[in-house]
Order: sequence, then C-alpha cells, then structure tokens
Amino acid sequence: MRLLRKLRLLFRKDHLDAEMAEEMQLHVDMQAARNRRSGMAAAEACFAAQREFGNIASIQQKAREQRGGVWLEHLQRDLRHGWRMIGKHPGLSAVIILSLGIGIGANTVIFSWLRGLVFRPLPGVPHATEVLLVEPRLESGSYPGASWLEYRDLQARLPAFESLLAYRSTPLNYGAPDREERAYGQFVSGNFFSALGMQPALGRLLRPDETDRAGGPAVVVISHDFWLARFGGSPDTLGKEILVNERRCTIVGVAPQGFRGMIVGLTFDLFLPATMVPELLRGSKELEQRENRGYSLAGRLRPGATSAGAGGQLDTALAALATEFPVSNGGVKGEVLAFWRAPRGAGRLLLGGLAVLQGFMLLVLAVVCANAANLLLARASARRREIGVRLALGARPGQILRQFLVESLLLGGLAAIVGTLLAWWGNEALRAVPLPGALPFKFDTRLEWAGLAFSLLLGPGCAFVFGLVPAVKSARTDAQLALRVARSSHGRSGLPRVLVATEVALALLVLMGAALMMRSFLETRTADPGFKAPGVLLGSYDLSGVGYDRAVGLSLTDDLLHRLTATPGVESAAIASWVPLDFHAMPSTTFTINGRTRSDGGQDRALGYSVTPGYFTVMGLPLVAGRDFTDLKDTAQPPQAVVNEEFVRRFLAGSPALGHQLATGGGNFEIVGVVRNSLYETFGEPLKPIVYFSYRERFRSSGELHVRWRNSEPGLAPDLRRLVREANPAITLHDIRTLTEHVDKNLFFRRIPARMFAVLGPLILFLAAVGIYAVVACAVAQRTTEIGVRLALGASSQRVVREIVRETLRVVWFGLAPAWFVAFVVMLHVRGGILNAPILLGVPLLLVAVAALAAWLPARRAAKVDPMVALRAE
Amino acid sequence: MTHHKADLLQGTLDLLILKSLQNEPMHGFGIAVRIGQMSKDMLTVEQGSLYPALYRLEDQGWIKAEWGISDNNRKAKFYTLTAAGRKQLTTEEQSWAKLSTAINLVLGNA
Repeated sequence: MRLLRKLRLLFRKDHLDAEMAEEMQLHVDMQAARNRRSGMAAAEACFAAQREFGNIASIQQKAREQRGGVWLEHLQRDLRHGWRMIGKHPGLSAVIILSLGIGIGANTVIFSWLRGLVFRPLPGVPHATEVLLVEPRLESGSYPGASWLEYRDLQARLPAFESLLAYRSTPLNYGAPDREERAYGQFVSGNFFSALGMQPALGRLLRPDETDRAGGPAVVVISHDFWLARFGGSPDTLGKEILVNERRCTIVGVAPQGFRGMIVGLTFDLFLPATMVPELLRGSKELEQRENRGYSLAGRLRPGATSAGAGGQLDTALAALATEFPVSNGGVKGEVLAFWRAPRGAGRLLLGGLAVLQGFMLLVLAVVCANAANLLLARASARRREIGVRLALGARPGQILRQFLVESLLLGGLAAIVGTLLAWWGNEALRAVPLPGALPFKFDTRLEWAGLAFSLLLGPGCAFVFGLVPAVKSARTDAQLALRVARSSHGRSGLPRVLVATEVALALLVLMGAALMMRSFLETRTADPGFKAPGVLLGSYDLSGVGYDRAVGLSLTDDLLHRLTATPGVESAAIASWVPLDFHAMPSTTFTINGRTRSDGGQDRALGYSVTPGYFTVMGLPLVAGRDFTDLKDTAQPPQAVVNEEFVRRFLAGSPALGHQLATGGGNFEIVGVVRNSLYETFGEPLKPIVYFSYRERFRSSGELHVRWRNSEPGLAPDLRRLVREANPAITLHDIRTLTEHVDKNLFFRRIPARMFAVLGPLILFLAAVGIYAVVACAVAQRTTEIGVRLALGASSQRVVREIVRETLRVVWFGLAPAWFVAFVVMLHVRGGILNAPILLGVPLLLVAVAALAAWLPARRAAKVDPMVALRAE
Repeated sequence: MTHHKADLLQGTLDLLILKSLQNEPMHGFGIAVRIGQMSKDMLTVEQGSLYPALYRLEDQGWIKAEWGISDNNRKAKFYTLTAAGRKQLTTEEQSWAKLSTAINLVLGNA
C-alpha cells in the first residue's frame, strides 16, 4: 500500500513540486508581512524575510529527499538514463543481450526438462512426486520387478503405504485378426487409478475389487490420446467392445488427459485388470508363479509414514519371503525409490545427461557474464570523463554505483526476455522433432512458471554478476584525475586481464568437456556390440492369443524358419525371445551347476534368452567352443544350453564348459556350446553372464523374428511380412525394423545430450572468441596514444604488433594453464587414465589461435595509425 | 542565522513540531512562530530544517497535509496530527522526560 502511494507520488511529482514552492513562498510572504508590522519598509521587509528563509532551491531539494518515494524517482531517472545508454551503444548492447539471452534460453530449456522429469514425471497424476516405487533388487544390483503373488504379500506387509498398486507393461494386438495393430498396454491392479488419485475423463476407472480373483469381466480403460485418435473423443465410446489379443473387452472409461502410463518416455494406451492376463496371454500362469517377475509396485505413503520407515518394512517383508520361498526369493532385497529414479524407462538415462548438460550451460553462462563484464568495463573506462564531471558536480559515488547497476540490470532484464522467448521457441521446436521407432515416445516438456521464473531470475542475477565490477570501478573514479586524463591509464589495474584469463579458463573447461562428451558418444556409436547388426531385419509376432499347444507351435515355428531360409536373398533366419539392447531389462534366471549349491545360500543368476537354432549365425556371434542347438524337431537329444564366455569365467572358473549340467526352472540342461560375449541390455554395461535356451525346450508363443539378408542392409519390410504370411497366415508381424535401427533407438536417449553438445560446442567457441576479441580489441584501442608515442620514437609497427600479441597471449596463458591442469586431472580420474591427446592439445591450441587473432587484428589497425593522429587523439 | 539561542538537539525538532500541532492544524509559518512563542523565543526553527522535517513526518504518517485558507485569506497548506502522530508524540514526550531527568541527574541539578 505504501509502495502504491509512493508510485502515485511519482506520477504527481511536478504537481507536488509546485505545491512545495507555493507553500514556501507563502512562508516568506507571511514573514514579510510580519516584518512590515514591526515597522520595516516594504522592500526591506521582503528582503529580510527572504534572507531569513535561506536558499529556497536548496531547502526544496532537502525537503524533496525527505518526501516518500524519492528512491523511486532516482530509479526512474536511472532507468531512463540506462535506456539512453543502451540506445547510444546499440552494437555493444545487442552483443550482450543476445549472448546472454542465448545462454539463458538454453539453460531454461534444460531446466524445464529436468524439472519436468523430476517433478512432473507422470502427467495426469496429481502430486506425482509423492509416488514412490517399491523395487525388489537382486544381488547383481538389477531390478527384476515383483511377481503378482509377491505383490499380494507386500500389499499386506507394507502398512506404510496407503495403497500399494502394481502394473506391468505389455505389447498387445489391437483390432480384428486380419488387421491387427500393435498397441501398448499395462496390466494393472484394481486399485491402480484410485491409489494414484486419478479422475476419469469419461466413464469410470478400474475398481479395486476388479482384480480380486481371475476371470472377472473383460474391461479396459483407454488413454485420452487413444480415445481422441480412435473414437474421435465421442462420449458413445463407453460400452463399446474392442478386440485386444482377439478377446472382446468393454471400454468402461477414459483415463485423464495427459496420462500415458507409468513409464517415463513411453506411451501406453490400454489399461487392463491384471487378472485378465491368463485370458489375454493365453496360458500365462504368471499370476500363480513366484518366479515370474515383471510387475512394478508403487504407492503413496500414509500421512506420517516416512520413506525410510517404508524401506524398513520392505526389508522385513522380503526377508520373511526369502525364508518362505527360497527358490524365488532367495537373495532378493528391496528398495523404496522416488519415482524419478525408476529403473525402467528413459528417465534416469535422460536425467543424468541433462544434469551434466545443465552444468555445462551454467558454465557457458559464466563465460557470457565474463564477456559482458569485460565489455562494460571497457565502456566504463571510455566514460571516465562523464563520470568525472558528475562527481565534480556533486554526485555521490553511491549514485554512480546505482546508476551502473541499474544499467546492467536493464541489460539483464532484456536478456531474460530474449532468453524466455528463445526457450519457448526452442521448446516448441524440440517437441516437434519426430522421435524414432515403433515404441511411441513422448515427453512432457512444457515450459512452466518455474522455468519462466528461473529464466527471469537468471537475467538480473547475471546482470548483477557482470555489472558489479564495472560499477564499483566507476564509482571509485577519482574525479580530478578523470577530468585531466580522458582515457583510463590503460589497465594499470589488472582487472580486465583477470577477466580475460577467467573467461579463457572457463571456455577451455567447457570446450574440453563438450569435446569429451562428443568423443564418448562417438565411441559408443562405433563400439562393437559383439553381434553384427547390419543386414538383419527384425519383426515381432505374438501368437499367445491363438492358443497353440507346444507341439503345434514348435512345428509351425520350424516350418516358418525353413521356408524363410529357403527364400532367395535370405541368408539365415532365427527366432529369439528378446532383442538385445532393448529398453526394458532382460529377464534373468537362477540356476545351479552340476548340482552344486553356493556355500552362502545365495543363488547364481544369469540373463536368460530363448532362441532357435541358427540364432548365433544370424547375429554373427561366433561359437568359441562346442556347437549350436540341435534341430527343433529333434527329440533324441537331452535338453541343451549355450552360455557365453563371461558365464564360463564367472561360474566355471574358466575351465572347459562343455558337458556341464545346468539345473534351472525344474529342468536339466547340458552346456553344448560357448559363444562370444556381446552387449545385452545397454551400451557401456559390464560383461554379463547369459544362458541361451532352445525353443525346443523353452517354447514361447511370441518372439522376435531375426532374418539376415544376403545383400547387406535390407529395405524390404513389406516382403518380409508377405513371406511370413505366405508361410503361415496366422502370423502377423509387427514392428518390422532393422537391427541397426533398433540399436540406434537404444542410443537415442544418449544422443539427445550428445546432439546438444554438438550444437553448443561451436556456440561456446564463438562466444569465447567474441569475448576475447572484444576485450583485447578494447584494451588495444585504449593504448592508441602509447602506440603513437612508440611509433613516433621510432619503433617499427611490426614490433609494436608483436609485443601486443605477446602480452595478450601471456594473459591468456595465465587462464589456460590452471584450467588445463584441472581438465587433465579430471580426465585422468574419470576416464580411468585414458587420455585423449587431440582434445588435450587441440582445444587449448584452438583457443590460443583465437586469442592471437583477436589481439593481432586490432593491434595491426592501431599500428597503422599515423603517430600524429594518435597523439592528437588525446 | 544567529545561534545565540539554544541549539536544537538532534531529533528534538520532530517532537517540537508534533507538540505544536497538538491542539490545532497549522501551516509551516505558523508552526515556526508557535515554537518561538512557546519557548519564549529561546528556540528558533530554521526553515532549512523545518520543511524537510515536515515532509519526513508526513511520509512517516504522523502528520497529514491539507490545503486550506489562512487567516489573511490566502491558500495555505495546513498540517494536522494523525492518530499515529499523537501516539508518537506521547512516546517522544516520555523519552524526552526520561532523557532530561537523566541529564539533570548527571549535572547534579536534580
């Protein structure tokens, strides 16, 4: 209110001043009248009154300063002045505003993404940050998910949670058998929606009692996007039946807008009660098997409960389950995680990359600030005479300081506006970028008030950082000296040099970091995954809804593979339960070798794949010992397993593996072959042991068809679909893609930050170059007189240029050396002693070259000036 | 300006102004005259201090200004004591009393 009153005063300033003058005039007049009454002559009385009153102007000024809101008046004046200064130096102002704006914009985009991932991981779910994950964890450190029965147990044993919910992601077939499309869905517990606190956009969501026992009504909740895309958002959608895995399901409701399931980055459209699993995935016994993990558990804490308390309850519960069910739960521990730390989905990967990127961009912003400080400093020294005059006329140093800061804040404010606009535009542009692959990725990357606040705070924050030094320096100007010598005595103060050195150091760190990021990304790209990706086409199929028994299924599979292999152009074909380097974690299996049990009571564990004979040929995985699986129709041979080299090293101490017996899941398998190690789950993973089983023993009604084409990269997806349909009309292939594409998809989330670095690297170099150039050029320009004197005294222009360049490089060197040392140490530490010579030497050389050029150009210009002109310029 | 009369102690001007406005609204000249009268011409308020003080007190909300007509029919700005100003006057009177008692004690005049 007080401020409002003051603001009003500000606009009535002229009126108030007039009133003040009138009031004081009245005083003088009254005094004069009084004087007359006491007998003075009229003129004398008036004069005396005026004399007694004193200097009206000065009193008015003093009174004005007592009046409220005077600081506002000053601010208004400083703003007007600052605005004029910006207009007077459009080039300089534009450089500062634009470079700062770009820096702020980039930071804001990354910030809003980070914030979105951490604070809004689940669009459509109210208070999503309160949702915690309950994740069983194996000794190996991986998170296999929970089994349905385990979920039921934990639901009763974790009272810290208000209501524990479960979900499991699955690909589904949607539509009539001849026109099936792939859709992604989640099997959920009945309390899924209610525990998350969601309200339906239409109809109802699932009820907790709907998953009490198997065989409930076939109902489905669809996503809002799916509703709009397939049903045009019509309210008639309720009660409609859709075919999911060839089963009729009734749509009972539409999930709230924005909700896309529980895995960050992926989109799920169908939400089905978990008790429909046996019906939809024909023959699945996962609801009764404790070994069958795959459900994720989540919930909100009860009021008063803590995450640590919930963790304690989980430990107790899992320890009890481990004793009750040693086969499935031996050695299984657990963790309560914040949702953004979810082991499934792209969140973690992206979060790490973005956090690094944010750090870098803040460094870039620091470089930009150093730039701006340098430029303002140069301008401040050019304004010394102006400041001297103002000081001589009675301005206080505080006023000069304030005026300079206001100018900087004005620049910072404008930069914040530019940055916000850029961030907004950049966000929209990034959202429009198409994302690859059949898995529908979608990120919620809205710019929100927090992002805007971040951006608008960065502007003035930076302004303060870069404005303070020039402001303080100007305020400390000696008026006498400033009036006598117009130009600053060319940086006898070391300040600009310190800033140049700082800026070069920051630029070096940022550039080397960016280069390293690029480098490690390129290394990942060229890294050998162990298998030969080019030339392989993938297609997934799912016959679980058709309900073949094992014998029929095996013979169909065998028949399909034989027909495909006989096709001209096809080199080899095989089927596997999984494709390596997929997004989800691979299933793992526990086993014992030769009946040995581990002394610590724990269980040996390895990844488990089911493949058909010929898989290793298709993948280009060489067998280092033994042979491939026997034919699918062979009934004579005992069950077989193939392991990788890491398995042999870890569990068989490197001794010959062939002939050993592997007991797992109630069966005994003989190790018949050893293949080379390859990547399974992600790039950069440590070597992992794996057991391959044959479809002969472990038949699955779904799988991924792998076909190696004879002529390198195939572009014949429709042909493959036709071929498969000719071989077996029941099989519809989904998601046909090359193995190379599939692998690239795994790299996609690593690539987002890497791409940003690719764009930002040159930008950073450019900003650093502009900064160094501007500062050096200003410093050299200020030395025009000195150069003139030296030239007049007979120095050759070449020598002058050489000296200026050398001096500049010395300053640059002071910044480079410590920063380079830091980078060197970090590199040794992070990259395990592997140094990269091109980066370690190339980046500093590049910066030195830029600095040398930045010094040379203005020095040469200065040296060409006629000495007389240079001397007269003073 | 002659300073043979008692110098105003720092901060006491506010007290004097508030006190002079206790009974009726007054304009600046009136306040100066009233303070002179009340102190039997021992205290003189300089205009250079009076007006800044008036504006400061107004900003603090202790007095408020209104335009009115003076005795000799001229437009003049009259200052009135506000409720907050009355409270402030009481406080300042009390602290002044304490201070003068204390000083008198020190000087041995009690």
